[in-house]
Amino acid sequence: MLRKLSQDRSKWLMALPTIALLLLFSLYPLLSMLHMSFTRSTLGQPFRAWVGLQNYKDALVDRIFTTSIGNTLIFGFGVTIAELIIGFLLALFFYRSVQAGRYLRTLALLPFIAPPVAVAMIWRLIYEPNVGLINHYLRQWNITQQSIPFLGQPETSLLSIMVIDIWQWTPFVFILALAALQSLPEEPYEAAAVDGATPFEVFRFITLPMMIPSLLVIGIIRLIGAFKVFDQVYMLTGGGPGISSQVATHYIYRTAFNSFNTGYASSMTIILLVIVIVVITALTLLHAYTVRRYD
Amino acid sequence: MTLASTDTPAQVDRKPSLLSRLGLRVNVFQIVLTILVIALLLFTLLPILYMVTTSLKEPIEIRRSGAFFPETVTDINWVRAYRNVPVHIYLGNSTLVALGSALFAVAVGIPISYVIARFHFGGGLLKNWILGTYITPPIVISIPIFLMFRTAGLIDSKLGLAILHGVAALPVAVWLLESFIRKVPRDIDEAAWIDGAGHFGTLVRIIVPVILPGLIATFIICMVLSWNEFLFALVLTYTRNAQTFPIGISNYIGEHGQQFGEMSAAALGGLVPIYLLAFFFQRYLVQGLSSGTVK
Repeated sequence: MLRKLSQDRSKWLMALPTIALLLLFSLYPLLSMLHMSFTRSTLGQPFRAWVGLQNYKDALVDRIFTTSIGNTLIFGFGVTIAELIIGFLLALFFYRSVQAGRYLRTLALLPFIAPPVAVAMIWRLIYEPNVGLINHYLRQWNITQQSIPFLGQPETSLLSIMVIDIWQWTPFVFILALAALQSLPEEPYEAAAVDGATPFEVFRFITLPMMIPSLLVIGIIRLIGAFKVFDQVYMLTGGGPGISSQVATHYIYRTAFNSFNTGYASSMTIILLVIVIVVITALTLLHAYTVRRYD
Repeated sequence: MTLASTDTPAQVDRKPSLLSRLGLRVNVFQIVLTILVIALLLFTLLPILYMVTTSLKEPIEIRRSGAFFPETVTDINWVRAYRNVPVHIYLGNSTLVALGSALFAVAVGIPISYVIARFHFGGGLLKNWILGTYITPPIVISIPIFLMFRTAGLIDSKLGLAILHGVAALPVAVWLLESFIRKVPRDIDEAAWIDGAGHFGTLVRIIVPVILPGLIATFIICMVLSWNEFLFALVLTYTRNAQTFPIGISNYIGEHGQQFGEMSAAALGGLVPIYLLAFFFQRYLVQGLSSGTVK
């Protein structure tokens, strides 16, 4: 009895640091943001006056904010879908050849463990209109005569940043998809071989259904990461030209730490958070559904 | 097409793996896919290699041509970059912050993962809350954290940044550690329990040694996350006293916008340590990434 009691206490002791951190770094900041979002606040002087829902009303008619939310969604879903398709196809290509798979896995670590700041630096040079890699070879091979300012024109600025993300994170999807493929059970494949199924039928009716839950998990991980996009926008375009590559995180950062308008930034943050939570929760429920259905 | 159709008898008994045994039964489909894969591999490696070749080019050549290979090789960019930027200070800060934050995340993460994995402590709520914090974009908590750290005197401090990076890595650490602990057979715990070991004793003497490879993987992944983190470091540090490598380099890029040779040399300074780390611990890294998500 006494031992039971002391064991219960030690469980609480083991959980306590985490609970304290959650209160301090998760609950308190969220409540604080919520509070600030109803006030006029600056970074130097948090809480100047209650303004009710004014910050939210402003945000919903702020064209920069609505565009940046749209860009965040385009960016998030765009890169996630591209990375899933390319990464999964590559994993399918390699998962039976263990040796090649092992080498490629190591190789695949390189892009996504690279510091984003180093990645941004080199892609800035790659995209550079006059002395950049792409334009150099486009001109040399006579594909275009005129330089393309990939980051400097509204038509391509967001897309160019998406390409960097796809470059950086497709290998991550590849590694996880490879691991998932290699842990699939063998029996369905043996049965299919007995039945004389074509490779396409095997893929369509065995591999793909069994992979869907894993692909959804990988997709959710990537989408969460992609919604956080900040570094590349900050370093490569600053959201421009105009607001063509502006994303929510970057606009909020600018509002809070350059314009010091923390009240307004807080309301935009809450809106962003709600959107992210709704999207991720919906996908998590979809994942739970597929696990039930295919298991 | 004729090539593919002459191959038909062989295709019938082919195993479900679409593309295995490359080179034994070559058809058009396989050739196309092989070319595609080689192209993708080049696409993966090219930016990193371009960073290396750019750092070895004459500055005057960089201003003239974006070609991949240098005409002449020089070390002038490396000499200048490491004379102009205190790269070693930023790298020192990054190393301390990364080590400190990984230690923090693992030290807090092990006990909470243990009570969640073994006793379902806190119901699903605690686990979901911890993992849920990963969904929150860092910008969401950055304003209150900034105000809180300013009050606590933790602005521009390596300790403050290490704590924050540790907290940010906690959901990842718990996700991984909890999956590793769940794979340890419960019998082992119970044997220790009968021998009179409490929860702390069981955890330290039994669980930790068993999950050591996973623990190392978790530690490395937390270090990489901290090493590459940008937004918190940007908001919380502003002198060489605490600025990490990404911030130091991004300031440098801001000041020396067109010095791509020097910037490449400086950026490689932050890339090489993380690649060395990944090279030595690649087995752990890949295992850590795949477990808990798809295995």
